[in-house]
Amino acid sequence: MTPAPGISRRVLTLAGLGAALLLAIVAGVALGAVSIPAGDVVSAVTRALTGHSGGLADAVIIDLRLPRVLLAALVGASLALAGVLYQALFKNPLADPYILGVSAGAGLGATLALAALGTSYAARAVGVPIGAFIGAALTMLLVVRLASRRGRLDPTSLLLAGIAVSYTLSALTSFVLVYDRETMTSVVFWMMGGLQNRSWEHVGMLTVMFAAGSVIPVLYHRELDLMLLGDERAGQLGVPVERFKLIALASASLVVAGAVSVSGLIGFVGLMTPHMVRLVLGPRHRMLLPASVLAGAIVLVIADLLARIVLAPVEIPVGIVTALAGGPFFVWLLVRKERGR
Amino acid sequence: MSAPVTTPALAFAAATVGYGSRVVVRDATFTVGAGEFVGLVGPNGAGKSTLLRAVTGGADVLGGDVTCLGASVPSMPDRERARLVGVVPQTQLALFAFTARAFVEMGRHPHLPRLGALGPTDRAIVDDVMARTDTAHLADELVDELSGGDLQRLTLAQALAQEPRVLLLDEPTSHLDLNHALQVLDLVRLLADEGMAVLGVFHDLEIAARYADRIAIVADARVRPPAPPAEALDAASIAEVFGVRAVVRTDPVTGTVAVTPVLRGADLAAIRDVPPVGLVCGSGAGASLMRRLALAGHPVFVGALNRGDVDYAVAEAVGAGRVALPPFGEIDDAAAARVAEGYAACTHIIVCETPFGRANLPNLEVAVRSGRPLVLVGSFGTDRDYAHGEARRLWDEALARGATRVDTEDEALASAGAASKEA
Repeated sequence: MTPAPGISRRVLTLAGLGAALLLAIVAGVALGAVSIPAGDVVSAVTRALTGHSGGLADAVIIDLRLPRVLLAALVGASLALAGVLYQALFKNPLADPYILGVSAGAGLGATLALAALGTSYAARAVGVPIGAFIGAALTMLLVVRLASRRGRLDPTSLLLAGIAVSYTLSALTSFVLVYDRETMTSVVFWMMGGLQNRSWEHVGMLTVMFAAGSVIPVLYHRELDLMLLGDERAGQLGVPVERFKLIALASASLVVAGAVSVSGLIGFVGLMTPHMVRLVLGPRHRMLLPASVLAGAIVLVIADLLARIVLAPVEIPVGIVTALAGGPFFVWLLVRKERGR
Repeated sequence: MSAPVTTPALAFAAATVGYGSRVVVRDATFTVGAGEFVGLVGPNGAGKSTLLRAVTGGADVLGGDVTCLGASVPSMPDRERARLVGVVPQTQLALFAFTARAFVEMGRHPHLPRLGALGPTDRAIVDDVMARTDTAHLADELVDELSGGDLQRLTLAQALAQEPRVLLLDEPTSHLDLNHALQVLDLVRLLADEGMAVLGVFHDLEIAARYADRIAIVADARVRPPAPPAEALDAASIAEVFGVRAVVRTDPVTGTVAVTPVLRGADLAAIRDVPPVGLVCGSGAGASLMRRLALAGHPVFVGALNRGDVDYAVAEAVGAGRVALPPFGEIDDAAAARVAEGYAACTHIIVCETPFGRANLPNLEVAVRSGRPLVLVGSFGTDRDYAHGEARRLWDEALARGATRVDTEDEALASAGAASKEA
């Protein structure tokens, strides 16, 4: 008997997370090698939105800092969305795009696209995300195939297969880079998970991919709940399980491909965020999905901010920051799971 | 008078079911009508659960058809099928922390529009099924912290929230204590009486017999035609299907079939080919000793007993030599001669603590005069003699002939061991 109050609690929670994301974005733009007062950030954005041209200070905010921070938010949101989907479909709280090898697959796909397409800017802008998507989707199929025994997906096998495939594909990517030194220079930093030198085009592309990948999860949030009860039970309660898995995994691959195309391999955001959100808000996807997406965005905006200011003026790739926080978190989850048995 | 032709709620029509190319049950043909409760029983691995899973797509229908209200189930969209068929699986995973209420609400899924949330009708249905399954008080608990029994009742609530016309149960009481098991089955029985078609897999034969209208035995990849419990579960079928010799009778309290397993087929095969131990028994006085002698590998001869006597049923189960009398029949000369022949072949004869009347007195008389060593169990009070002192006289005669008197069944059993060593 939780009708109206539940709805308002949901709206309040999401509004709170939205406000926190806005604050994080403003902080992300304001802080950096050169700090800018928050008021200037807001007024520069206002000027840009109303079509007034600002000076050099505005250009730093609008053309350098803002797209980068928005990208961080979009990448975080994408990885968290993919994490929620993988965790529901595999009923495994340890699943995320990085651990399942999907990120590495997308990385290899993107690298191959870069190497094959030469230096044409337009070809790269379209080819890299497509290459990443194909790489992600094929890797997902491969990992599921490897981890399945007689139609059953063993959770431990899934993680082992994911990690093994992830290493193999990363090695292949390195091989391509060594072989093709011209591609290497443009790829190395990107592969470590960085958000430097990104432009509004990247923001546009990722927005489109994120939006496209969100359609299915938003429409089918109840099916995601049911999937947590197990494939057979979900089927008994009316979910066309195989078809649903396919479209949901395709959606996840799409957002992972988008995230990897612009920022390389960033680990653990897709693992940590949905997990923490689930602990606080419960497993129902009507709440879990939007809350995780917002939380993922917040986490990565803050991680990127740390990456820029901790050793300023030297920047650390943001993937290193998330791995530093995420590695121990993963171990903690594993230990907790073992003890829980 | 011709019965109206109605479409059965659930029908297996020469259905062969299994997984991929592996056939588990062949040519299953039976129906479950609206308002009917059919139980499936059979040995482990016979394919009972596979039959249920074939209805909801968890197993494949490899030949024939399974229909629900006339429509073929395998080709039905999952959503449509979920509005017709509810399932309570054997075990339900609860790895994630849904509230019990949210868990039950999931049963409404096949009725909800794509973007719609639960409406007042849906909430009323959820309230109702939680009340009926005695889970309303659990509403705010987290399912991953509940006991197996609570989870099983919530799963039933979830299935009922689907408002199904057909309910499939796979050992619905496996995690329930006695009170909750009866409560759940009473509810399922009530649902059937209200018009739901119920098909349930049971391990407990008595529970199945008590609640189901008809019982179908699944064994050797076949389903036997469903029959009323007393017909389906006779001693011969139980021996054949489960390899267990059992005494099957009508429980005086519930009026339904009561099954008491006596021996496994393997125990029966281990009985030695030696002269038997004789028993003078009746009215259940020899049942326990007969079973223990058989378990120890001794063949047994029990004299003449009436069909319907508990000792007769046990003698049949352990394969004891016996002379059958009709119910309330007396031992005539021909029967007495066969009894005499039987006792004469025994290593020794144990007289159990049974009361004697005119009907069974000849057993005692023949035993005492057989010349075989006698073991008398217990003492002989007036409460055992309904034969005007005749039985008392025979008892004293036995003692005079050197019979051993023991106080307990254990001592009697030990005497059997000693006697067979001498023999």
